[in-house]
Amino acid sequence: MSEHRRQILQMLAENKITADEAERLISACEQSTATPPVSAGEPEAKNRPKYLRVQVDSEDEGAHDGPTKVNVRVPMQLLRAGVRLAGLIPASALRQANNAMHEHGIPIDLSQIKPENLEDLVEQLSDLTVDVDQKDATTKVKVRVFCE
Amino acid sequence: MIPFVAVVSLRNRESRTFRVWIPLLLVWLLLLPIAVVLTPFIFIACLICRVNPFRGAAVLWQIVWALNDTQFEVEHRSAGMSFHIL
Repeated sequence: MSEHRRQILQMLAENKITADEAERLISACEQSTATPPVSAGEPEAKNRPKYLRVQVDSEDEGAHDGPTKVNVRVPMQLLRAGVRLAGLIPASALRQANNAMHEHGIPIDLSQIKPENLEDLVEQLSDLTVDVDQKDATTKVKVRVFCE
Repeated sequence: MIPFVAVVSLRNRESRTFRVWIPLLLVWLLLLPIAVVLTPFIFIACLICRVNPFRGAAVLWQIVWALNDTQFEVEHRSAGMSFHIL
């Protein structure tokens, strides 16, 4: 019996936790031991996405020209470089942009966004998938944004 | 590696495809002397705007470097267009 399981059963015996809580904790322990540990470095780098893809399928049912398809593939490196470019915006321009956004009711302070935050944002894009399906009387639009 | 070629494909209603290969290497070679001539002016503009010109140049270089494999396609029954940087 593992140490964690023994502790959970001990807590149950001492009425510190209920039977339901003990069951949940034991199942959580089992899941964590069943999952193989991810070794840092190489496998993570292998799974790192290389491209941001945007696919749009649009079909106008009134027209007989068939669907329109748009397929855009942007390297993630380009996004990262673009983010670094955004970090070069001078402070005076940021102040003007902040004022303009505040006037339009958007309370975002762009000067608080640092290049490292944007780097993190691009890193997290790997988990991003956006699916939009819109269908009305005449048109059917499907948009997919994902990383690969 | 910086991109060397851009391929533009155009397809018309008769499914005839025109493909144009643009040698970007020649474009870079043409832009190089212009960039050298403009460097002092860009440097002064950067100093006026309080932007580090070396960092700006580095970022621009990274953008050019990262353009590789960028692809854009629009397909329709009557026409199609694709742009691919290699």
